[in-house]
Amino acid sequence: MAQTVYDPPVSTYIPLQTITLGASASSVTFASIPQTYRDLVLVINGAMPNSGGEPYARLNSDSASNYSAVRMTGQGSNYSAAAFTSNRLGFFFTYGSELANVIVSLMDYSATDKHKTTLSRGSQAAGRGAAAWASRWANTDAVTSIAISHEGGDYPSGVTFSLYAIEA
Amino acid sequence: MQAIETVTVGSGGAASITFSSIPDTYTDLMIVVSSRSTVSGVNDALDLLPNGASGNNSLRYLRGDGSSVQSGSETTNLVSYTPGATTTSDTFGNASIYITNYTSTSSKSISTDGVGENNATSVRSAIIATLHSGTTAFTSLELSLRNGNFVEHSTATLYGILAGSDGSTTVT
Repeated sequence: MAQTVYDPPVSTYIPLQTITLGASASSVTFASIPQTYRDLVLVINGAMPNSGGEPYARLNSDSASNYSAVRMTGQGSNYSAAAFTSNRLGFFFTYGSELANVIVSLMDYSATDKHKTTLSRGSQAAGRGAAAWASRWANTDAVTSIAISHEGGDYPSGVTFSLYAIEA
Repeated sequence: MQAIETVTVGSGGAASITFSSIPDTYTDLMIVVSSRSTVSGVNDALDLLPNGASGNNSLRYLRGDGSSVQSGSETTNLVSYTPGATTTSDTFGNASIYITNYTSTSSKSISTDGVGENNATSVRSAIIATLHSGTTAFTSLELSLRNGNFVEHSTATLYGILAGSDGSTTVT
């Protein structure tokens, strides 16, 4: 068996910002996002609001119905799929306060000649199960800010939000 | 994200692939696997054993095999499906395994996307949500196939992901 150890390790994701909530909060905003990269990756990890609902974002503070999505979900006992238009960029749908992680890839966020698309993977093994969402923001503006909230209320203390950039 | 280590299975295959002495300096880990099993069948289960041990896992999956869709729950170490010996020759499945907060001494949430390959119908693709309720930090990760061995040329790469420091984040 061949084994290659990278010393020093080879970078791919570039960490931009992270925050760990010291107290519950209704929203977290990554502002003034540098425009020098190709793609962004957002990782949310932690307990979710007990009342459940969508973790979601608004790009550049846009709260109009400019977001569309298709999603598939496996809850363990059943599965479902849907397509819809919304006034927010949905990532997942959580159920209960159990530990969850959401990984969102935002492609070509700095481009000004195309709508922005995301691929999201949500995992909450003791709650909603596994889901994949594909979403589109019908706007050609570069993404300069991402405000993250949850339909079910405040994110609990301890939840982490990390934003990474990827160079082409 | 930084590539830490790649393992490539050599002649004769291997029963498992292990990343040991994982540094504790990252926030999250990712494993990208390209694998094929010696099992006489279409699918083999790919398991991930944190610190070399089974157990402490509950998971829910959504999978499709070309003709049907299923969702279920298990308490196994399943992270993906790997094509077996009856699939098209030289085809390998792949999986991306994202492990959050691996140095934590509380539960960890794991997210996996996996796809088999076969120039025919009937091979599984799946997304899986796993809750590992063990309270030990992950210092080694073992990949194994439930019914076969990894064939030669199977590969697995371990990445470390380090989150950035707080900047102009606004919390309300």
